[in-house]
Amino acid sequence: MARFAIKSLWARKVRALTTTLAVVIGVAFVAGTYILTDTTFAAFDEIFEDSLAKTDVVITAKEEVRQETGETPSFKATVLPKVRQVDGVRVAVGQIFTVGAFFDAKNEQIGTKFAPKFITSNIPESLETQTYVEGRKPRDAKEAALDQGAAEEAGLGVGDTLKLASVERVAAYRIVGLTKLGEASWGGASIAGLILPEAQRITDKRGEFDQVLIAASGGVSEETLKRRVQQKVADPSLLIETAEENAKRNSDQIHEDLGFLRIALLVFAFVALFVGAFLIFNTFSITVAQRIKEFGMLRTLGAGRGQILGSVVVEALAIGILGALLGLAGGYAIAVGLNALFVAVGIDLPTTALVTKTRTIVIALLIGIGITLISSFIPALRATRVPPIAALLALELPQSRRRGVVLAVLAVLLGLVGLGMVAVGLFGGADGGSAAGLIGGGAVAVLLGVSLFSPRLVRPLASLTGRPLERLRRLTGRLARENTQRNPARTAVTAAALMIGLAVVAFVTVFAAGIKGSIATAVDESFQGELVLQNSDGFSPISPRAASLARKIPGVELVSTMRVAQAELLDGGGTERVSALDRDAGAVIDIDWSEGGSQTLRDLNDDEVIVDKSFASSNGVDVGDEASFLTQIGAKPRLRIVGKYEDKAELLGGAIVTQRLMATAFDQRDDTIDFVKLAPGASAEKIQAALIKSMDREFPVVEVRNQQELKENQEEQINQLLGLIYALLALAVIVSLFGIANTLALSIHERTRELGMLRAIGMSRSQARTMIRYEAVITALIGALLGMVIGVIFAALIAQPLKDEGFTLSYPVLQLVLMLIFAAFAGILAAIPPSIRASRLDVLEALHYE
Amino acid sequence: MSESNGNVVTASEVARRYGEGDAAVDALAGITTGFERGRFTAIMGPSGSGKSTLMHILAGLDKPTAGTVHIEDVEITKLDDAALTKLRRDKLGFIFQFFNLLPVLTAEENLVLPLSIAGRKPDQAWVDQLVRTVGLEDRRTHRPSELSGGQQQRVAVARALISKPAVVFADEPTGNLDSKASADVLRLLRQAVDEFDQTVVMVTHDPDAAAHADRLITLRDGHIVHDAVPGSTADVIELMKQID
Ligand SMILES: Nc1ncnc2c1ncn2[C@@H]1O[C@H](COP(=O)(O)OP(=O)(O)OP(=O)(O)O)[C@@H](O)[C@H]1O
Ligand SMILES: [Mg+2]
Repeated sequence: MARFAIKSLWARKVRALTTTLAVVIGVAFVAGTYILTDTTFAAFDEIFEDSLAKTDVVITAKEEVRQETGETPSFKATVLPKVRQVDGVRVAVGQIFTVGAFFDAKNEQIGTKFAPKFITSNIPESLETQTYVEGRKPRDAKEAALDQGAAEEAGLGVGDTLKLASVERVAAYRIVGLTKLGEASWGGASIAGLILPEAQRITDKRGEFDQVLIAASGGVSEETLKRRVQQKVADPSLLIETAEENAKRNSDQIHEDLGFLRIALLVFAFVALFVGAFLIFNTFSITVAQRIKEFGMLRTLGAGRGQILGSVVVEALAIGILGALLGLAGGYAIAVGLNALFVAVGIDLPTTALVTKTRTIVIALLIGIGITLISSFIPALRATRVPPIAALLALELPQSRRRGVVLAVLAVLLGLVGLGMVAVGLFGGADGGSAAGLIGGGAVAVLLGVSLFSPRLVRPLASLTGRPLERLRRLTGRLARENTQRNPARTAVTAAALMIGLAVVAFVTVFAAGIKGSIATAVDESFQGELVLQNSDGFSPISPRAASLARKIPGVELVSTMRVAQAELLDGGGTERVSALDRDAGAVIDIDWSEGGSQTLRDLNDDEVIVDKSFASSNGVDVGDEASFLTQIGAKPRLRIVGKYEDKAELLGGAIVTQRLMATAFDQRDDTIDFVKLAPGASAEKIQAALIKSMDREFPVVEVRNQQELKENQEEQINQLLGLIYALLALAVIVSLFGIANTLALSIHERTRELGMLRAIGMSRSQARTMIRYEAVITALIGALLGMVIGVIFAALIAQPLKDEGFTLSYPVLQLVLMLIFAAFAGILAAIPPSIRASRLDVLEALHYE
Repeated sequence: MSESNGNVVTASEVARRYGEGDAAVDALAGITTGFERGRFTAIMGPSGSGKSTLMHILAGLDKPTAGTVHIEDVEITKLDDAALTKLRRDKLGFIFQFFNLLPVLTAEENLVLPLSIAGRKPDQAWVDQLVRTVGLEDRRTHRPSELSGGQQQRVAVARALISKPAVVFADEPTGNLDSKASADVLRLLRQAVDEFDQTVVMVTHDPDAAAHADRLITLRDGHIVHDAVPGSTADVIELMKQID
């Protein structure tokens, strides 16, 4: 029986191949996700380990609360002489390792936007792990080394000019050496080397280090040395680790930071798999229906039900195994493609030789085979119901009424359960992870419910979407519509595959439009000042001197600064963004006060705090209470709550403190954003130009944006993310197009004689093509309509709890209409191979066809 | 070779060979004949004698390996697909044994399908007349699945006539029907010839069907072995016995 199954599969190999492709794409996406993320993590691990290859113990500043910028504080250089006294220290050196910005001679920023650029200081040969592929180490304050990757990317070489900028300063250097570390590519990250005093000067860390690297004398273990250094230094603000511990901590941090990436990618892979499952289910259903006579014949020859089931399952197994193996291979292509996609949107992660873990292989095989078996099981069961008599009669598979009712009830139940899960996820007060799980699970249930119910919707929807086509081409349009309505279950499942992809697309589109709109409103409502100064990346700090510089520009009435730090609310609260505003901030930003007002801000003391309304309610505190924060340097200021505001623009974070407290307790002396208010009658354009000119000279990382640009900048980031999501969803949509092509090919196969007859009585080739094309378009439009309705409803639902935070949904009608048109074109695309086949059909053969 | 000699369809030296070399089969071994306007011709012969092959070539569905076929003044053996499509719309009607109707269309829509495909408006009087002739006045809006096999085939006959073609080809139109339904279909074909001056060429295995025709051509091994007026059913049976 198994041999029979494989033979019959071989006989239908083209169909089998498209079915396999559905498995391949989904599995490749999963495998590619694991391969890419494993590779990225491996690359980070390699970089961390390589850079500390000759180091035994590392000293860094302890960071109590991690900052958004990812920067760790520096510490006093006075620790170094103490370390050098420790017995067993062969060599110890302090190093600068600070994030900065790199520019070429023309002031063009080097490297991708979201990747860090490090300014570092030289370390002696005995600790150095970078090798010089060209040139030599910098020897004086005018010289710099640059990593080979960044140099190549920017087209720089030895002798060229490199400008380095920290928060405070900028200086130009001559490149004297190109470096390389290990085998891993750094992606968009880059590293520049300076002599120590210059590195300290440019980063404003005179008399300070970012880290101290220590190598042990022979015979002293890392652990022993670490203990001795700890005893000698005895400073609780410092973290003293073995090189191994340090690399592991950094690596763990990266895993934590990028873990979401893997999950996000897997979500998209799951969407593609889900769509693939529909395709497999449909293909198997149709082929089983077409092979009824064959099964009946086998039954008359004495084949048992188990044997029939077995033969279909073996077919599925063969497809599953082949799909999983090809998918695994395709995973490498996907991994490379995904990385290219990320680079294209400015996320340039380190890479190294592609990593394939056993886990990846096992998961790929399990998913590929599992999905195929599960989705072919119901069709296989139906094959067993074929009675031997079917061999003699042209029987249809029994479509019992009861089955229809059961399916409808199941569909409604699934839909209700799904909506319930979404509601609990949204309003049930579950924490982030399980809420997302509930909403995701609910979405899957709703989608399944709608797909089960959709055969009942095919008739009206096909009439709706087919009408314009019928008007366009009377007969072919009519026939196309009738053909899609002929077997509603088949059309429904085919359309459902596209529905899933487009539901997600519609959801994301509507939601993103809402976010963009809300940001625009928030910017309009909150910013009274016409211009802002910001780091070009939008979040890193800028020098407070930038504000001083701006105040000197004629026509500038007021520059109000804002500083930001992450802090933890003690006694069980989470990490929150805390901001510190100038006392005159009321003149430039519109704070939505719940309790208090501009005067509260002006009179704020160093032992007082103003909190966000939702921060207050979620932490059970209110005006008059006291709240303690843990800051990045370990301070624990205890503050009295004196006011409350609503942070609609997501600007201020959870709490506002004085700038003095921000400096002393939170160790933040740099600005995150400066609001510039212009004197009445001053020209915003001229002042912006003047500001840009003066910033370019001293603070090239500072960007001057007007309100419009501020909105555009935010919008651009959302658009980029949206582009990324669309690209990731494209795979799922492609799978569903395969589904449309597959279903059409199968139904054309069924209708061979009918097509032959039509051709014999005068239908032209192009009419036959048009008919098939329209069938695809109608199917695609049904899927698109259902998907868009579901997507929009979900967006509206999920926006509900966000309403309080100023999120208002807007419906991008134009984009939704474009999506429908896109779906129609996608249908045309999917119809190309089957319509060509239909039009090439040999009339004579078709009439003979048995 | 045109209307002048009264032939709507003319075949000269038509040969059809399948395969090559030793395995080659000569399905038609050089057939020359013509079909007059307003005549009902039956083609009979043992299985494999070349009946279907001849009909397909006459109808332009297949190309001969040698010889020519003219329909009216046009040499169809030279036409490309587009011209053949047009020819089928304008000049030919078809009746098959199975799968004659589109299941998604009603009886009347199936009836006018050739005109719809050609994008022409049907002449309602002609449609009504045909519907009446085939006796399906109360079945116009039924779908094929709601019609009996005989009714379906009657719709197919009416459809073959709707465009008033030069010739109607029928390949075993009664092969799938019981004797009552067969008789209905044959009576219709006969009526079309007699009342509408329609030319009909029908391939059949059924001596009873052949007896309805004006002329009986008998094939064997790709040759015409007999060409005469069929006579009664009994005569036809006798003839077939001789040929086998
Ligand atoms: N596509 C083909 N390839 C090879 N040989 C063919 C093909 N079609 C027909 N033949 C051969 O040509 C000969 C004539 O076939 P044809 O179908 O015309 O016979 P027929 O008289 O219609 O028979 P039947 O009464 O069984 O329908 C037969 O020997 C047949 O085997
Ligand atoms: Mg035949």
